[in-house]
Amino acid sequence: MDTKTINYQEERKVYYKVLVALLILTAITFIQPHLFMTGSTFLAQMLIAVVKAYLIVMYYMHLKGEKLIIPMVWFAMSLVTVFFIIVIGIDVANFQFGAESHITAAAEHSAGAVHTTPASTHH
Amino acid sequence: MSHEYVPEIATDREGNEYEVQGWQGDFYAGKLGFWLFMLTEVMMFGAMFLALAYYNTLHPQDFLDASASLNRVLGGTNTVILLISALTMGLGFLKMRTGDVKGAKLMIWATILLAIIFLVIKGFEWRAEYNHGIFLLHDQLLPESSLPFGQKLFFGLYFTMTGLHGVHIIIGIGLMLWLLQRINADKVTPEHHIFHLNIALYWDIVHLIWVFVFPYYYMIGAGGATGGH
Repeated sequence: MDTKTINYQEERKVYYKVLVALLILTAITFIQPHLFMTGSTFLAQMLIAVVKAYLIVMYYMHLKGEKLIIPMVWFAMSLVTVFFIIVIGIDVANFQFGAESHITAAAEHSAGAVHTTPASTHH
Repeated sequence: MSHEYVPEIATDREGNEYEVQGWQGDFYAGKLGFWLFMLTEVMMFGAMFLALAYYNTLHPQDFLDASASLNRVLGGTNTVILLISALTMGLGFLKMRTGDVKGAKLMIWATILLAIIFLVIKGFEWRAEYNHGIFLLHDQLLPESSLPFGQKLFFGLYFTMTGLHGVHIIIGIGLMLWLLQRINADKVTPEHHIFHLNIALYWDIVHLIWVFVFPYYYMIGAGGATGGH
């Protein structure tokens, strides 16, 4: 990052454009449950978050144009993904102590009782 | 007012002075090291999100109900505050790089102010939840309470994750105050700004974590039949 080659006005413009985009995405976050993908709010919210994260990482964290940092970040993220998603996923899928676990045992109980405790009682 | 870089000086037993060759003089290594640190942050919060997602699959309805009861107005306000603070931090760094040290300091102060407002709003939110009996090791989150178990898990993780995020905000304020002190001592200048860049990156990762915390906790139950506050 050479201080002599900075175009202040140009870079400031990018910051403001990203701010506007992030504000619009935040507004969409609020109206989404009533406007679109109403049946899969969780998925829609996470998709919006990923777009926001992309803008922040690329423009606010200056990853765009970082030829040396980007491969390192991708490599490390891939490692994390492999261990977090695949390895832990396999482990969780083959969970052998469900009956002994306080949490999973309670989940089975809760799943059976979900219709007897209507959500409308909660405010 | 010129800002000539004042190097760190180490003195040996005989009183000879040496210029310290550290991360200030190695821009790329300083930046790479900080990116690696940020990945450890992603792993820490990632593990929490993983636990959250797993418990969510066990208690989907409880999670929606608990999410619907959170105050989305306060959560949304804090989202916008963090968003603007990321801008002020970024603009401050831009001003530093272009030589406007005074403007950079002003932007850092603005970021500190926004961070304090974030914490105050979070404090009000937590207090309201405490008054409703919902807080760690308190009233409705105790094992013997009648609150559905899935909601206890949700709120337990909610306080843990937003609390840890709040700790990061407090650390961020401390780092920004340290940065201001370093700028005043001419240890951070337009030509030696890696310290400023790394603290700006830290603030961005704090913002980035909130970008996922907010929808997962506040919004997933927003469109449910249960409604909310």
